Amino acid sequence: MKIVVTVKLVPDPNAEKRMDTATKRLVRTGVDTVINPYDEYAIEAALQLKEKLGGDTTVTVFSMVPETGKETVRKALAMGADDALMLSDAGLEGSDVWGTAYVMAQGLKKVGFDLVICGGLSDDGSSGGVPGALAEYLGVPGLTNARHVEVADGKLKCQRETDNGYQVVSGPLPAVVSVTMAVGEPRYPSLKGIMGAKKKTITVMPLSELGLDRPVGNDGAKTELLQFAPPPVRAKAHVVNAEDGPSGAKAIFDFLKEKKLV
Amino acid sequence: MQHVIVFVEHKAGHTRKVTFEMATEARTIADALGGKAHAVALGTGAAAIAEQLKAYPLDTIHVSEDTDVDKFLLDPTVDYMEAVAKSTGSALIIVPNTMLGRDVGGRLMARLDAGFNADVTDMKVEGGRLSITAPKLGGAFITTKAFKNCDFGIVTLRPNAFAAKAGGAGAQVVQIEKPAGKSYAMVVESEVEEASAEMGLEEAPVVVSGGRGLGGPEPFTTMLKPLADALGGTVGATRAAADAGWVPYSLQIGQTGKTVSPQLYIAIGISGAIQHKVGMRTAGTIVAINKDGTVPIGEFADLLVVGDLFKIIPELTKLIEAAKAAHA
Ligand SMILES: Cc1cc2nc3c(=O)[nH]c(=O)nc-3n(C[C@H](O)[C@H](O)[C@H](O)COP(=O)(O)OP(=O)(O)OC[C@H]3O[C@@H](n4cnc5c(N)ncnc54)[C@H](O)[C@@H]3O)c2cc1C
Ligand SMILES: Cc1cc2nc3c(=O)[nH]c(=O)nc-3n(C[C@H](O)[C@H](O)[C@H](O)COP(=O)(O)OP(=O)(O)OC[C@H]3O[C@@H](n4cnc5c(N)ncnc54)[C@H](O)[C@@H]3O)c2cc1C
Repeated sequence: MKIVVTVKLVPDPNAEKRMDTATKRLVRTGVDTVINPYDEYAIEAALQLKEKLGGDTTVTVFSMVPETGKETVRKALAMGADDALMLSDAGLEGSDVWGTAYVMAQGLKKVGFDLVICGGLSDDGSSGGVPGALAEYLGVPGLTNARHVEVADGKLKCQRETDNGYQVVSGPLPAVVSVTMAVGEPRYPSLKGIMGAKKKTITVMPLSELGLDRPVGNDGAKTELLQFAPPPVRAKAHVVNAEDGPSGAKAIFDFLKEKKLV
Repeated sequence: MQHVIVFVEHKAGHTRKVTFEMATEARTIADALGGKAHAVALGTGAAAIAEQLKAYPLDTIHVSEDTDVDKFLLDPTVDYMEAVAKSTGSALIIVPNTMLGRDVGGRLMARLDAGFNADVTDMKVEGGRLSITAPKLGGAFITTKAFKNCDFGIVTLRPNAFAAKAGGAGAQVVQIEKPAGKSYAMVVESEVEEASAEMGLEEAPVVVSGGRGLGGPEPFTTMLKPLADALGGTVGATRAAADAGWVPYSLQIGQTGKTVSPQLYIAIGISGAIQHKVGMRTAGTIVAINKDGTVPIGEFADLLVVGDLFKIIPELTKLIEAAKAAHA
């Protein structure tokens, strides 16, 4: 079985974010690029499946990202994925959610798959729209927010997270699923994994290989950023030292009353 | 873009406040664009929701009680939405910024080759063009965006960011015909409830949130829940609490959990890590209770009470309950 994990590279979630006023894009220089935290869980879910299914199951990492992201993509290989494909092309700059999903789907068709596993949400764009749109453009069943993924007898069976529990959902392969963090903590690459990753193949695919029938990247984008501004700053807290329970409770109660919140 | 179509998220006829917020906003935008305001309710309970929605200023409510919507994951829902959109013509489609809303939105984006703007907190029409405000990167930036090159635009609306106001002459309820020639593959076999879903975390006006400082699962039910109930809110948590298995992940707030903007956020035994902060920093008022006066949450909360949460919370709940009783 061929599992493909979609992996977005994002600026370090812990770093301070800046926007370039001229290009209106996120400044990525001087900030570490890391694997989108959610996608580490997607990789983990894929590796767990591979271990379970054994045989000829492979895990391919799939990322739409500039070529400069190669070494970060290699970290996914160090975790245990078999190979990687990067869709990299200057023509993809300025892609929006629509363009990203559309182009990724064309790339995934080229690569081939039995199961695509996505993260639930990216740390930077955070639209959550990509996994569902991939299923649509690929014309295969889609299932999002799985907290448990199982493949048996060529069929998919998942627990899909809901607001107050989960649904048991099943369907045929090929399919696209996105996972939540409940699939299990992502493993750390072992030293052997890191060494091995150096020899694994990372293929770079340019747009010209996809034979697209419509403009993508900045030209094809269906959204446009008009303006951006920093948010209003929050001031430091008023600090009250509570001698005991009742005085602490009273301080909060009085504050809430003053704010008309009780 | 001329018309507006609202996707109604509900469960067997029970919906959330955000539905009415979306319906109210749909009217405002449709008027500004010179179009009509539609809503679509699907599956078991759709007719009941349509009745409730009549109190809001919509023109047409499209309904289908087709049980396939409940039996199969998403595909029937998206088929119906696509059919309504195509019969309506160029439109802004509003979905809630919830797990299901983002899902439906992403799929419709592909069906309609539409633009997509996520987590929207404000909309305006200027010179006939829609301009959309959305905080990005956990609120580090507030962006203003527009659609281009598309007949359909999709926005996921942040719950609690828009007002819900009843009014209007009562919408017309119409039945949608089942899109022909479809077959569905993803089967919903069963549904398991692990927590009571009285109120969605994202739309609760008050969130009482607990962290590692609670020390175990019990205080979430014996202390936080009564306080949340007294304040008319719901319980949330940090990832540390979810990772420890004290609460389900569905209660986790932050970078890898939910984003909330309640009027009041009470952070109990929570240090205020950046990954937690990005999920709650847009709350109206933030109150923190922590035994340590130097925690990061003091940098952005409105009030930090330094003391033992186990002593303070029960007293606070009593005070609020007493005030409520005096009012009643
Ligand atoms: C700050 C910021 C705000 C943005 N706002 C918008 C907006 O409002 N509207 C809009 O149209 N575009 C927006 N974009 C662009 C958009 O983020 C990108 O096009 C992005 O690649 C796809 O959307 P997402 O990040 O929301 O992905 P999500 O749908 O949140 O990602 C879900 C999963 O899809 C997979 N995935 C997503 N992107 C890639 C990729 N490039 N390579 C491999 N796997 C991937 C990952 O597994 C990920 O976990 C924004 C970008 C930034 C940096
Ligand atoms: C990629 C990534 C993503 C993450 N995503 C999230 C996320 O989405 N949401 C999230 O919350 N975290 C997230 N985290 C984790 C985050 O970094 C913090 O570890 C976490 O938020 C800490 O939770 P906490 O405040 O409950 O625990 P702690 O930081 O341990 O704080 C507990 C607090 O309780 C106080 N306390 C203890 N006992 C008492 C008492 N009796 N009375 C009063 N106060 C007391 C302590 O003084 C302390 O300040 C993420 C981390 C990473 C790396």
